[in-house]
Amino acid sequence: MAAIKSSTLAALTAAALALPLTTIYASDEETTFQYGNYQDGARNLFTTQSGLKPIEVDSLQSSTKLKLADRVRLAFNYSQDTWSGATPITTAPLAFGGNNASPLRATTISGASPYLQPNSGLVYVDAEHNPLQQNRDTGAYSKNTQLVHTLSSASPETRKQGDFRVGYDWDEASLDVGAGTSAENDYNSSFGNLAGRLDFNQKLTSVNFGSSYTSSSTEAMLDHDAAPYIEKSTFGRRVQSLANGVKLVTGSREDWAGNVGITQVLNKSALIEGSVSYTASTGYMANPYKVMEVLFIDPTQIVDTEGKLKATMRAFLEQRPNERNQWTENLRYVQHIASLDAALHLDYRFFHDDWGIAAHTFSADWIQPLGDGWSITPRVRYYTQDSADFYSPYLVSNQAASKTTIDPVTQKVTSVKYDPKLLPKNYSSDYRLSGYGALSGGLSVTKKFAKGIELQAGAEYYTHAGGLKLGGGGEGNYADFDGYLINAALKVDLSTLSLANSMHSEHAEHKHHAHHHGAGAPAGIMFDHVLSQAGETMIGYRYMYSNQTGATQNGANTVSDTTLVNRACGGQQCYVTPQNMSMNMHMIELMYAPTDWLTLMLMPQFMDMHMTMRPLDGAPKAPSMTTPLGAAILHSEHEHTTGGIGDTGIYALFNAFEKGSQKITISLGISAPTGDSDIQLRNTHQQDLGYIHYGMQLGSGTWDFKPAVTYTTQIDDWSLGAQLNGTAQLESTNSSGFALGDIFQATSWGSYSWTHWLSTSVRGIYTHQGSLKGAYRGVYHQIGAMDYTNNYGGQFVDVGFGINAAMPSGKLEGNRLSFEWLEPVHDDVNGYQLPREGALSATWSYMF
Amino acid sequence: MQRFFYLLICLLILPGCTSISPWERGTLAKEHMSLEPTPIQDSLRSHQYGSREAASGGNSSSGGGCGCY
Repeated sequence: MAAIKSSTLAALTAAALALPLTTIYASDEETTFQYGNYQDGARNLFTTQSGLKPIEVDSLQSSTKLKLADRVRLAFNYSQDTWSGATPITTAPLAFGGNNASPLRATTISGASPYLQPNSGLVYVDAEHNPLQQNRDTGAYSKNTQLVHTLSSASPETRKQGDFRVGYDWDEASLDVGAGTSAENDYNSSFGNLAGRLDFNQKLTSVNFGSSYTSSSTEAMLDHDAAPYIEKSTFGRRVQSLANGVKLVTGSREDWAGNVGITQVLNKSALIEGSVSYTASTGYMANPYKVMEVLFIDPTQIVDTEGKLKATMRAFLEQRPNERNQWTENLRYVQHIASLDAALHLDYRFFHDDWGIAAHTFSADWIQPLGDGWSITPRVRYYTQDSADFYSPYLVSNQAASKTTIDPVTQKVTSVKYDPKLLPKNYSSDYRLSGYGALSGGLSVTKKFAKGIELQAGAEYYTHAGGLKLGGGGEGNYADFDGYLINAALKVDLSTLSLANSMHSEHAEHKHHAHHHGAGAPAGIMFDHVLSQAGETMIGYRYMYSNQTGATQNGANTVSDTTLVNRACGGQQCYVTPQNMSMNMHMIELMYAPTDWLTLMLMPQFMDMHMTMRPLDGAPKAPSMTTPLGAAILHSEHEHTTGGIGDTGIYALFNAFEKGSQKITISLGISAPTGDSDIQLRNTHQQDLGYIHYGMQLGSGTWDFKPAVTYTTQIDDWSLGAQLNGTAQLESTNSSGFALGDIFQATSWGSYSWTHWLSTSVRGIYTHQGSLKGAYRGVYHQIGAMDYTNNYGGQFVDVGFGINAAMPSGKLEGNRLSFEWLEPVHDDVNGYQLPREGALSATWSYMF
Repeated sequence: MQRFFYLLICLLILPGCTSISPWERGTLAKEHMSLEPTPIQDSLRSHQYGSREAASGGNSSSGGGCGCY
C-alpha cells in the first residue's frame, strides 16, 4: 500500500515537472463513454393542454486518446444524439387560438399538428392593435394581450458526429490539427481546426491559440401540415417544390472562428485564464422549422360598432441576417482551498454579436474530493441575454394581406397581395433570440477506482425565464420553461493501466493465464468466461451491426408484391413493405468478481435503428391523407429512425464444472426494461399516427430472464466451445400491450490459435424466436407486414467467421480485440419478413 | 466592458511573474485544479446550452454540427 502511495506521489511529481501547469491535465491515453439524457419540461399553453411530449434528447459519446509515439497524440470522438418531442414553432396572441387544434376536432388537446392560424386567417384587433378575444358564450370581444407558443412535435431524429485530432508536443509548445463531420437528416456539416500552445516563464505562462472552419448545409422538408399556411413567395429559390408536393428549404453557411488566450499560474494554488474569440458566420442561419406570424391590418378601415378592426394572420418562414459576427471574452479562475483540498472554479463569459445580442454567463463549480476516490461537485450557472434586434413574438404590418379592387369602367376584379417590401428584412420569433435569463444548478459525483477506472454521474436542473434577465425587460412568462440533464460516464485511463501492469507484471501474467481459456471465443459470444479471483475487474465494449434487406420472404421462400398485398397483413391488404432495416448497438460490459467463484456483470446498451419502406406494386389506392391511415402511408416515404438507451442486462456467472481445460459456465441474467417500448411517430397531416412499428422500439418493455450454459475446452492450439442460451419474457405484455417472442439459441465454435496472440474462429448458430404476443393498446396504423405481430420471429441458421487478437504482454497487455461476421445460411421466417443480410460484432475488452 | 475585461486580465497576470519552484507545483498538478477537470461532462452540458441559448460556441474553436432541436 505504502509502495503504491509513494509511486503515486512520484508520478504526480514527475507530472508536475514535465507538464506545463497551464494545460489540461487529462491523461494522454484514455477512453471514455458517456450517456446523457436531456428532457424539457411541459410548456404553459394556458387554455389548451398539450398532449405532445416535450422534447427529449438521448446522447451517446465515446472518445479515445492514444499516444502514437512519444510526442504524438491521437484522439478520436464519436457522438450521437437522438431527439423527439415537441418544441415551439412560433408565437401568437392567445386570443387567436394557435394551439387550439384542428377545426375537425375543436376540443383536441393532443394529436394537434401545428395549427398556425384560423383557416381564413381572419382575426380582430382593437384600435390600438391589441388582439381581441371572442367569448364563446356571449359572442362579445375583449382585449387579451396574452401570448402563447404554438408547439410542433418531431418524430425521432438522429445526429451523428465523428471527429479526430492529431497533436504533437514539443518541450514548450504543442500543435493540434483536427477535422470532423456531423450528419443529420436535414443538416450536414464538416469542420477542420488548428490549435496550438506556447509555454513561457518556466511553464507558468501559456499562450493558446486556435482557428476553425465549418461548412454546413441545410436541406429541410417543411411540415406537411404547416406548409400550406406558410407564405413562401417571399423566399424565392430558398424554398423548392418537389414533384411529390414536398416543400424543401435549402441553404448553406460557413463559419470561421479564431481564438487566443493566455493562462497564468498566479501562485502555488491559483491560476487564471483569459481568452478572446471571434466567429464570423455567413449564409443561411435561420431555423427552417420556425415561422413568424404576421398580423396584417388594413389601415384604410375604420373600427366597427364594437370597436373592432379586421386583421389577417399569415405565417412566414423566419428570416435571419446572412451575416453574423460574434465576439466572446472569457475569464476562468481556479483556486485551491487548502483546508478542504477543494478546488473552486469561477468562470465569466461575455458574448456579443452584431445581431444585437449581448450575453453574460457566470458559473461556479466547487470540486470536493472526499477520499477513497470519491469526489463531489456542486455547480451553479447563471446566463442572461438581450434579445436580437430582429426578434419579435409576432409582427404587425399596416397593410392589407390582400385587397380586391373593381375597375369602375371595365368592372374587372383584381386582387393585390401585401407588399413584402413593407415587412422587416429580418424577423424571428425563436424564443432563443428573446431577452431572458437562465439559472441552472447541478451536482456531479465521481468515483475513481484503482487501476484507472472512473465513473461519473451528474444531474442538472435548468430554468429559463424572461423574469431572470439581468436588468429586467425580458420576454413574457409564456415563454418560460425548465428542463433537466442527467449523465453517466465511464472513463478508463489507459496509461494508468499500463503503468499498473508494468508495476505488477508478475500479477498481471498470472491473471492473463487465468483469462487465456476464453481468448479464442468469437466476438459474438457472451457469457463464456468468468473472472477467476475475488476483486478482479473486466471492462469491455461491444458493438453490433445488423441489416435486413432484399426480397421479402414467407417462410423460406421469396414472395411477390401481389402476395404481400393480399396475404401479409392479416385479413387486410398491405400498402407498403420494408425495404431496409438496420440496427447499431453499443454495449458496455462491466464484470466484477466479489468472490472467487462468482462473477457479476452489468451491461447497459445504447442503440439506434433505421427503416425505409417502399409502396407495394398492386397495393390498393391509399386513402386520403386527411385520414389517419392515409397520413401513415404517406409518412412511410420518410426514413423512420429511433435511438436511445436499450434494455440493461444484469448477470451472475459461475463455473459449474472445471476439469483441466474443460469448463461449464452458467450465466443467469435478468434484462431490465430500460429501453423505450412506447415510441410514437409525430402527428402529421393533423392525424395521430400513433405507435411506430414494433421492430423499431428500443426495448422489450418487459423484465426478461436470460440464462446461458457454455462448455469450453482447449486441445492443443484449438479452442472449442458450445453454448445454449435463451430469453424468456417474464411478463405477458409490456405497458404498450405487446411482448417480444421468446428466444432459444444453440451455437458451437472452434477457433485456432495461429500465434500466441492471434486466432481465427468458425461458428454455427441456430436461433428460434417466437412471434410477438399481444398488440399495441392505443392508436396504431397497420400499413405493412411489419405492423402485424405474426410477422416476427422464425428459425435462423448462420455461420460466423471471426478473428481475435489478445495482447499477452507489452504496453497493450490485457487488451483483447475481436471481430465476427455472421453470414445467414437459412432464414425460415414467421409470416412475411425481410431476409437478413448479416451481422457484424466487434468487441474490445480489458481485464485486470 | 471590454476595456475593463482586458485591464482585469493584465492586473491578474502581473503578479504571476514571480517564480514557483517545481516542488511547489504539487497542488497545481492535481486533477481537480485543471481548467477543464471534467471535459466529457462539460461537452454534454455545453451542447445542451448551445441548443437553448443564442450565445453558443465562441468558447473554443473546435467547430461542430447543429443538433438544433
